Amino acid sequence: MEVLPDPVFLSRLQFAVTAMFHILWPVMTVGLSLILVVFEWLWLKTGDVDNYRHARFWAKLFLLNFSVGVISGLPLEFEFGTNWSRFSMMAGEFFGNILGYEGAMAFMLEAGFLGIMLFGWALVPPAIHLLATCMVALGASLSVFWILVANSWMQTPSGTHLENNRVVVDSYVEAIFNKNMPWGVSHMWFACLATSLFVIGGLSAWYILKGRNTDFFLKSFRVALIGVIFVVPIQIYLGDSNGREVFANQPAKGAAIEAHWTTNQEGTGAAWNLLAWPNPAEQKNDWAISIPGVLSVLATRDKHGQVQGLKSFPKADQPPAIALIFYSFRIMVGVGIFFLGLLLWTLVIWLRGQLKSVLIGNNRLLLSVWVASIPLGYVATECGWIVREVGRQPWIIYGLLRTRDAASILPVSVVAVSLVSFLVIYSILFVLFLVFAARIIRKGPDLTLMPPS
Amino acid sequence: MDNEIHTLLANIWFFIIGLMLFLYVVLDGFDLGVGILSLVARNDKHRAIMMMSLESIWDANETWLVLLGGSLFGAFPLVFAIMLQTLYIPIMVMLFALIFRGFAFEFRHHARNKAPWNQAFGVSSLLAALAQGVAFGGLISGLGVTESDDQGNVRGWFTPFAALVALGVATGYTLLGAAYLVIKTEGAIQRISIVQSYVAAALEIVLVITVVIWAARFNTYFAARWADKETGNFMNFFLILAVFAFFMLMRALQKRFEVRAFFWSVIITLASFTAVTIGYYPYMVPASISLLHAASSSKTLIFMLAGIGLLIPVMLVYSGYQYLVFRGKVQMGQHAE
Repeated sequence: MEVLPDPVFLSRLQFAVTAMFHILWPVMTVGLSLILVVFEWLWLKTGDVDNYRHARFWAKLFLLNFSVGVISGLPLEFEFGTNWSRFSMMAGEFFGNILGYEGAMAFMLEAGFLGIMLFGWALVPPAIHLLATCMVALGASLSVFWILVANSWMQTPSGTHLENNRVVVDSYVEAIFNKNMPWGVSHMWFACLATSLFVIGGLSAWYILKGRNTDFFLKSFRVALIGVIFVVPIQIYLGDSNGREVFANQPAKGAAIEAHWTTNQEGTGAAWNLLAWPNPAEQKNDWAISIPGVLSVLATRDKHGQVQGLKSFPKADQPPAIALIFYSFRIMVGVGIFFLGLLLWTLVIWLRGQLKSVLIGNNRLLLSVWVASIPLGYVATECGWIVREVGRQPWIIYGLLRTRDAASILPVSVVAVSLVSFLVIYSILFVLFLVFAARIIRKGPDLTLMPPS
Repeated sequence: MDNEIHTLLANIWFFIIGLMLFLYVVLDGFDLGVGILSLVARNDKHRAIMMMSLESIWDANETWLVLLGGSLFGAFPLVFAIMLQTLYIPIMVMLFALIFRGFAFEFRHHARNKAPWNQAFGVSSLLAALAQGVAFGGLISGLGVTESDDQGNVRGWFTPFAALVALGVATGYTLLGAAYLVIKTEGAIQRISIVQSYVAAALEIVLVITVVIWAARFNTYFAARWADKETGNFMNFFLILAVFAFFMLMRALQKRFEVRAFFWSVIITLASFTAVTIGYYPYMVPASISLLHAASSSKTLIFMLAGIGLLIPVMLVYSGYQYLVFRGKVQMGQHAE
């Protein structure tokens, strides 16, 4: 491999490793913190102590998850300077500003109330405690907002101009509310909700399958199910809309997602590849299973809508690794459809009145599928980010700055050592997280726990 | 007029960044300091109490670093970029140390054998403190950045001066950690913390003065600022304040004024930090990048002021509230689940 000794490639790899590892945790922090708000609110409203116990039990997993999120997130901010200094110099005025906003509005809020939420049950009145839980959840969701503002500006930069090779903001409204932002923010926020709901639902299903505290975990299973009823259809709608926005504003990414090489001629519709094997060297697909006319409808909502093919871009402006983008997208969509199917199946069971402790045992297959679904939200989220980030290449800021021109000038050895260190440390961290999370889950909830009087 | 406003805004942001750095140094400083001291804890019970004292706050303390990073990135992108790129090695060491420290802290709860986790926590606290010190020392010795070569040198931070500063920073953190433990503990562990506070304070004051003299000896700009009548007086004022705070700390420790002892150790930190900053002002990377050269446009600085600057008092209030909720001596099993 010729690319390996290239420090820019190593920096890209390092950012991919650290970002893909980091994103696993905030996904759960965002969703679970909202679920904790729901349990705590239900407890205060109904007086059902089980809801209090749910809040306390899931909070243990929350803390473990949150801690890994915080410590794995720290390097990301610094990597913009260490590995992407030319990007930082150029775009810091807007991009750094937004990261600063995230720190001030999201992280400080989260951290400022986290201690009270986790350890302050006996020290503050219930209303203040609920407020603390709400603030942690608000902080987590605000961090999704600001991070996706920053990232969407890299996808569809607007509201700024270049002056002496530095980004200067003309309009904050335009820069923040850039074209990709509403879709980017909402799609990611719902991804967090969906992933967390399927984790909580899946773990609850596991306890029910094991016959442990069936009544108790049916409560959390129902909470997850009700959440999913709203979240999954909305997420599918958002994903579809986000896709059309990509075809409009980042046509090369759109074409890569669908391995679409040749622009359709006027008066005809572009074919959609269900499966294909893209061959960038020859600028065509080696083989493809296609459905005529469908891509135009998907991308433009018009039977004969024009969809630019990859060949209409110079090779230097085409995204790399088209197969990766193509298949990541399909996995993400596949998970979405699978979630919808699981939701419908569970609804049928629910409507038949089977979600009761005496009858739920008849539905072992359904419960097992829920358990198997625990990792799928994460898989979909990672695939979505691969599509989003690899699809933007060769640009770091679409149309403005190429990734190659954004990296720090560093000796290969230095980046190689830090990359390997990240790989080693994060692997250890990941395994240990699983070990300790499994310990918490196996131990289960404390059903004798009473709220502080 | 526009220029004057811009200069004012850039200076306000320089001050805010300084304030954030100071808050980080004090808050995560005592946090890391407790970690360093845990290496020499007499037994596991002491160690457990020391770590318990950090349970509800370590994450919030570390968050000031995130806020500091983001704010520096937005307000002075040039400094953020050049500093981090040039300090690649110490920054990575710091990040790895903070990662280790965080997971040692959280995972030890669930681990059956706690000893290796405790050890990892202590060692990574010390490593993080030293890496931050080396980075700061490297920064104020100029990073090897010159007018013609603004990329700097990825090994330019490696100087004896930076090593001395690193020692000063680690000692300062240890002092803050010991003073914090005086407030949070009682009995034998408190008595030990008091002795540690004496030793760390004495060492710290010697190190601060050595750093300042060394900087004046080898850095002509710093020397000129110190020799200058006006700025020199300011610097001398803060250096004398540091020494004064040292004596007040000794007195407070003797009389067991717990909170006051912590207060004076914070003043030692603040005064030394301010004296050094005045010595290099208006340079952010000494001798090459001034704060005006690095600052973002007025529009950004104003926008950031509205979204970050105005929130600082709010952050201080709710962070303070959290400290208030968890005030008092650490009780074993207090937060047990």
